[in-house]
Amino acid sequence: MEVTIKNEGEKTYVTLNGRLDTTNADQFQTDIQPLMTMPKPDIDIDCTDMSYTSSQGLRIFLSLQKSVLARGGKMVMLHMNPQVKEVFDITGFSNIIAIR
Amino acid sequence: MHKRFNPIKDKSSEIIEFLMSSPDMPEDEALRFKLRLSIEEAVENVVRYAYEGGIGWLEAGTSLDEDNLVLTVELRDAGVPFNPLDREDPDITLSAEDREIGGLGIFLCKQMMDSINYRYEDGNNILTMTKNINK
Repeated sequence: MEVTIKNEGEKTYVTLNGRLDTTNADQFQTDIQPLMTMPKPDIDIDCTDMSYTSSQGLRIFLSLQKSVLARGGKMVMLHMNPQVKEVFDITGFSNIIAIR
Repeated sequence: MHKRFNPIKDKSSEIIEFLMSSPDMPEDEALRFKLRLSIEEAVENVVRYAYEGGIGWLEAGTSLDEDNLVLTVELRDAGVPFNPLDREDPDITLSAEDREIGGLGIFLCKQMMDSINYRYEDGNNILTMTKNINK
């Protein structure tokens, strides 16, 4: 799972590439640490090339969303593939995380 | 196709890839996604919780019914007796603030597979999951 984070003015652009699973969830958690501390975050996460996520990934997305909301920020996940979107739909995550 | 892994500490990935590379597995990508997800969640459950320190075995296998329509994935371990199906489903209607982190693994298996069964037999936890692979 490759993670790139770019800050442009007030906005933060994150790109995810690869499979998010039990082998790399801890690393992913570490990679996104900068997103967990910025004041009033405004984050776009491009999921075009995220091919897979298991519950290990979901728990990290949920803790990120909780943290973003607690800081009065916003976060949007963009361009999920249909399978990943289904995982978000089934678990109700589509209702608690903005997806476009 | 069956194989026993022992010990299973840090072997999740190897066990998942073993099952995913079985000749019983379908080629359809959408189906494989669902199977991989269910297998990862179920295997991870055993690797993390069945044995103290992951010191113990897990037997993983796949089979097809005689019409090659229904795939069965079976996981067997001799760890602490534990029925993952006893766990209550998460409340997926809650807000982000109220949602608990975790508890989604077996719920995802239930949603992605056609059936999931647990039994405790001769000192073993046996989890079987089935999926019609000819849809």
